[in-house]
Amino acid sequence: MSAPVCELRAVTKSYGGNLTLMRALRRVSFAVPVGEHTSLLGPSGSGKSTLLRLLAGLEAPDEGEVWMGGALVSAAGRIDLPPHRRGIAMVFQDLALWPNLSVLDNVLLGLSGARLPRIERIDRARQALALCSIEDLADRRPETLSGGQQQRVALARALALEPRLLLLDEPFSGLDLVVKARLIEEVHRLAEERGFTVLLVSHDPLEATPLCRAAVVLQAGEIEEAGPLAALLREPRSELLRAFRDQLGPSGGVR
Amino acid sequence: MNPLALERPSRWRAFGVAGVFALALLPSFPLLREAASGQRGLGTFPATLWQSFGLATASAALGFAAGLPLGVTAALYSFPGRRALLALASLPLLVPSLLWAVGWSALLARVAPGPLPGAAACVVVFATTAIPLVLLTAWASTAALGAGQVEAARLAGGEAVLVRSACRHAAVPALLAAGLAGVLVLSDPAPGQIFGQRTAAAEILVSFAALFDFGLAARQGLALAALVLVLAAPLAAVAAPRLAAAVLPRAIRPLRPVWHREMAALAAGGLLVFVGIGVAAPLAGLALPALRGTALARAGSEVVETLGNTAIYGLGAGALAAVLGLLLAALAGRSSRLRTAVLALSFLLLALPSALPSLGLLRWSGEVPAALAPVFHSRFTVCVALGLRFLPVATLLALRGWASTSPTWAWAAELHGVSLGRYLARVLAPRLAPAVATGLVLVGLLSAADVGTVLLLHPPGQRSLPLAIFTVMANAPEALVASLCLLYVVGAGALLAALPWLAGRRL
Repeated sequence: MSAPVCELRAVTKSYGGNLTLMRALRRVSFAVPVGEHTSLLGPSGSGKSTLLRLLAGLEAPDEGEVWMGGALVSAAGRIDLPPHRRGIAMVFQDLALWPNLSVLDNVLLGLSGARLPRIERIDRARQALALCSIEDLADRRPETLSGGQQQRVALARALALEPRLLLLDEPFSGLDLVVKARLIEEVHRLAEERGFTVLLVSHDPLEATPLCRAAVVLQAGEIEEAGPLAALLREPRSELLRAFRDQLGPSGGVR
Repeated sequence: MNPLALERPSRWRAFGVAGVFALALLPSFPLLREAASGQRGLGTFPATLWQSFGLATASAALGFAAGLPLGVTAALYSFPGRRALLALASLPLLVPSLLWAVGWSALLARVAPGPLPGAAACVVVFATTAIPLVLLTAWASTAALGAGQVEAARLAGGEAVLVRSACRHAAVPALLAAGLAGVLVLSDPAPGQIFGQRTAAAEILVSFAALFDFGLAARQGLALAALVLVLAAPLAAVAAPRLAAAVLPRAIRPLRPVWHREMAALAAGGLLVFVGIGVAAPLAGLALPALRGTALARAGSEVVETLGNTAIYGLGAGALAAVLGLLLAALAGRSSRLRTAVLALSFLLLALPSALPSLGLLRWSGEVPAALAPVFHSRFTVCVALGLRFLPVATLLALRGWASTSPTWAWAAELHGVSLGRYLARVLAPRLAPAVATGLVLVGLLSAADVGTVLLLHPPGQRSLPLAIFTVMANAPEALVASLCLLYVVGAGALLAALPWLAGRRL
């Protein structure tokens, strides 16, 4: 059996000084098996984005360990493997598209850490644009695109890295239902085609159900419940999933 | 170093901010030693300081009373020529006050010959600078209101309620701007010299340049600085948190000025009256003698002679201030406490009299080893002194520029393995360029317009244009002085017209 694509072991993370200490995560442990798309659910301020930044290597945990593909990548107060060597990609909540660059240049600059010859980088960037059906937008600036098109650019930039794990930090919030459904479907298709695992952060279980089989529900920096999403929706313990089930029924449209 | 370092909180940021401000205050330190040397006499300075305080209060009050309604209505209502009128109304901020004083002096000599009413004329000239400062602050404060807020006030009670509410909203920032204008009046020697009115700033210059009493000038400078700090510190404490919040971009539907016949007429009329009295009248005073005879040609050759130094002082100071301002913005980063501290210290730094660092540098120039003396007597030192003096202007713009960037850009760069150099060159630099360029030009214009610092520090034969005007105005023919002033105003106006192009749409 292969090692989990990512794993947190008793991770704790706090912010602020002695007087204003805010514990964002308390001894959180969970693992994401290869190919099992997982959603990280919880209300605002529950620690979801912090957890994602720890996995991405943008921050180090105060306590505990982060493992990826069977290798220790960061531990208390230190980062052993930098973000761009972890085989991950991330789509941020605000997409983090670099505004002065064209769509193609956004993807190209995103490949600058890959140490590929320029021609190969251009090829890979164009392939990523084609994969996300935005090759005709290559010369446009992000600010001239619609919300859905900008999401595709961010996705293309992430997929160009050919990641093993794709982190999605509430990237679909602010989109209308039709565009959101289409994008989630597309991410699912791409994940099947390219063989990467998705870890989706959201406060809305409706975004998770079409894509993810497993879920971890966070509340105030601690795991409230975790397991197969279908099972969680049948007998929810967390307020979030109970409210969702009461609205949509026990299946909740889960895959 | 990687892109993430630009966003990561660190205690070194506070040390860095403290270091930059220590550098900005370093030239003033020798005066503190001078004050501690034991001599305490100030001559007649306290009485003069009291007079200057009266002038500053009157100018600030006039600036607030006229600038607040003008700024608010110009932000709320659209009318033909609005941008041009606003640009013309801002012109006095970028031109040395002595030019307006010369213009008024020439005009009054024709319209109402006789002894000049010194104090009243000084207040008019100082208010010519105070009004646009308050006007632009009130305009910016009102323009930052969301369209929804404005529509709600309009629905609640029509235009009268809207204007009253907007004036209430802009009153505190406008009051702060008026306070700053008043404090700046205390540091301005020129109008007092021209209208024969004793002012504190002029007396410091006289103590140093005419009486050759450095100690007296230093003590007077410190007394002035103490008064300024007492006045400016509470203003800084109130203003800094508000400004720190105001520099952050907000996701609101932006306010668009609307056409409303009566209100637009009032707004346009008010601006026209100010531009007429504050700008056109003194310009007419300059133009009347300037356009006679061959004075313009002679002035042209004087301008050519001093243009190089004026440009060097302006560009050198602008470049230094832009770089240090950007450094301060980067050091403050996303911390609201550091941003507030930077703004409070900037406010105090701008309010300090310009004579303080200039006299300090002069003291140092006499104490350093002989090998270093040429540096202290060079144009480089003038640029440094001016750049540090107007650093707050560039800092404010850089903070605004930095706040318009997102921390997730650096996170994404880190995740994709983009090097710090490439991230700076490809992502941050293009984004920050308009703010930095605007800071450079504004500080350049303010530095080029400075008289006090250049008068004290310029190397022999390396005068700037305003200094040339200041030094020749007592003896040269009126037509020549007026022509020099007129050419300066035209040049500053041309640079002001180029600012929107430099600033782009992001400021």
